[in-house]
Amino acid sequence: MTREPSTALPVPEPEPDADFRARLREFLAAHHPGKPPKDPGQRVGWTKAWLATLFDHGYAGPGWPREFGGMELPFAHQVIYHEEAARARVPGPLGTGLNIAAPTIIKYGTQEQKRRWLAPMLRGDTVWAQGYSEPEAGSDLPSLRTTARRDGDEYVVRGQKVWTSHAGDADIFFALVRTGTRDSRQHGITYLVIDARAPGVQVRPLRDLTGGQLFAEVFFDDVRVPVANRIGAENGGWPLARTSLGHERAAGALNQAAMYRRVLTELESLARERGQLADPLVRDQFVDLEIRVRIMRYNAMMTIGGILARGDAGPTSSISRLLVTAFEQDLHEFAVDLLGPAGLLGKSEPRAVQRSRWLTGFLRTRASTIGAGTREIQLNTVAEQVLGLPRDPGMPPR
Amino acid sequence: MTGGASASAEHDELRQVVRKFLGERSPSHAVRRLMAAGEERDHEVWSLLAGQLGLTGIAVPERFGGAGYGPAELAVVLEEMGGALLVAPYFATVALAGQALTASADEDAMARWLPGIADGTLTATLAVAEESGAWDLAEVAAAAEPAGGGWAVTGTKLFVIDGHTAGLLLVVARAPDGLGVFAVDGGAAGVEAARLDTLDPTRALASVAFNGAPAVRVGVGRDTAAWLPQVLDLALAALAAEQLGGAARCLDMAVSYAKVREQFGRPIGSFQAIKHKCANLLVDVECGRSAVFHASAAAATGQPDAPLAAVLAYTHCSQAFTRAAKECIQIHGGIGYTWEHDAHLYLRRAKSSQLLFGPPARQRARLAELAGI
Repeated sequence: MTREPSTALPVPEPEPDADFRARLREFLAAHHPGKPPKDPGQRVGWTKAWLATLFDHGYAGPGWPREFGGMELPFAHQVIYHEEAARARVPGPLGTGLNIAAPTIIKYGTQEQKRRWLAPMLRGDTVWAQGYSEPEAGSDLPSLRTTARRDGDEYVVRGQKVWTSHAGDADIFFALVRTGTRDSRQHGITYLVIDARAPGVQVRPLRDLTGGQLFAEVFFDDVRVPVANRIGAENGGWPLARTSLGHERAAGALNQAAMYRRVLTELESLARERGQLADPLVRDQFVDLEIRVRIMRYNAMMTIGGILARGDAGPTSSISRLLVTAFEQDLHEFAVDLLGPAGLLGKSEPRAVQRSRWLTGFLRTRASTIGAGTREIQLNTVAEQVLGLPRDPGMPPR
Repeated sequence: MTGGASASAEHDELRQVVRKFLGERSPSHAVRRLMAAGEERDHEVWSLLAGQLGLTGIAVPERFGGAGYGPAELAVVLEEMGGALLVAPYFATVALAGQALTASADEDAMARWLPGIADGTLTATLAVAEESGAWDLAEVAAAAEPAGGGWAVTGTKLFVIDGHTAGLLLVVARAPDGLGVFAVDGGAAGVEAARLDTLDPTRALASVAFNGAPAVRVGVGRDTAAWLPQVLDLALAALAAEQLGGAARCLDMAVSYAKVREQFGRPIGSFQAIKHKCANLLVDVECGRSAVFHASAAAATGQPDAPLAAVLAYTHCSQAFTRAAKECIQIHGGIGYTWEHDAHLYLRRAKSSQLLFGPPARQRARLAELAGI
């Protein structure tokens, strides 16, 4: 165990590739779409135009296969890609297709399905939205009731989905539907891709607590869906629902850490301008957030280091969402508290601080610990899958 | 990235070796025997960990008989020792005194004492805190005066880790030309040391009074301010690693118990209330692991953020360990409140580690300063 003093940096920094980073940075600067339009409708078009630019220049889908328009980058380069995209503040994907449906299609779709769906999704020509939750199937998703009855080479879909983000802009829904018996739970679920404009599909926007309309209810009234739109086997949809592609989530966690690093620094500047940093109680709350935002980055680096060294993301990957969701809630609430009554001013008020961003964030982040699995369910999952604690015997088996 | 990958494989191997050794040589009954007898170590265990495993020399440069590793490898060892609550003057000797001597870059001092630290024949410690208990160089009142060809140290140090048994005391004191570090033989005339009755019986803290004790100055010709603060940060990072090990062990104990203890006809670990406690502890532990890894790597490679990373790791791990120790007792219920169960030993170690360098609020204030808040 004798050797020269350690000089190699054991911190898992991605292998720097100056050329790739510089090329990418130059491209992003040259084609940058500028500030987002304020009108939500215009913003969709603006985002689509950016996605098309990326695709047409070969800069879309860092982890996707080349065959379907992706870049097929090694993981270390994917990390650089996400870092540079975050740094340049270019728009992210539109809808949930790219992050959730695409990995499933790439892994389990037929060649025909991949050809038909992947490139248009990546280019932003089609927007995909997720149809998983139902009024009676939230955390207990395997109890979902929307049915798909086989009729020749079609399924007839009937039921209701809810909390569907981007439903209003969606061209396609990827949905979990029941093809098994009523009580077949996860063994009777099928993964279907449904044309949002098919007869019988009805989208009713829901107003969320921020006052905005980001999500909707989606009704399927005997909607006919070709069997060719089924991914995987009939009744075999459940295991496909949470497919991820390689380790894209790890790169995403690093980005989120970088983004919140920036946001926290902005809040510090605001507090400094307002002369509030002299208050030791305020400083102490900043210390708490400072520790957390740095640890988020350290965690992401540990995860990435584990992937690069062993091909294994390790337990830090399963806790990153728990950390970031609590952080963004606490950060925004702290910001609003700092501002006092001024924190209550809405966007339209000339006195509103920074166009009310902190108040908006305070409201918006209520969803952070609900959507994509509530915090409580995630804690159960961590306890059962990482720590090996027994499942509640009153709950149906996984 | 290859550097990271091979370092990680080496660390895994080191961890396995230390874990196995401590599992055999420092099980709970051994810890309790030393604790009850008020002994600072098991001499046989110490000579094995020094001789066979080379752990006392792990962070000592090779030319002074060590293995030439640094803070990152030391962190791995300390994490395991923290998990086992090893009763031994390892932290004081290796993490404090050893790293202080190395950081001093004083050739004479290193040549004189490091080989003894490396081979385990010398135990040592670093004495900083006085009446306030804080490891704050501004509060040092102990004085050093030139005497004969050397120095004489006068003053009282408190909360000196293993201070009553250490063969060598590195004492921070004020000389006429400013702050310095002075090496005092533990058995020298004018040294009076006594163990303090404190919360944690697995780690001895002592008061050490110096009354004109003969001393040798360490780091002659170098401004102490250039290297001593770095030593304190290395100590924070090292203690954070030890705390991480303790926290991880508390989580293990709680989870193992929750899997087998049945109430209402089912394992208590199947109840959400217990699951969520455990999952939240896991989050704390994993964050601690990342923070310790970053802090020790930053220290090893002299990154500019090393001081901040050290305070951050220590602050997080202090909270994580204390919380884990408390939750471990809670999850065990009545049995966790007994003297016979080890849970309280971890609570004692956790709380005393959290307060060892001063009130936690001071660390947070320093973090704010370092982060420019």
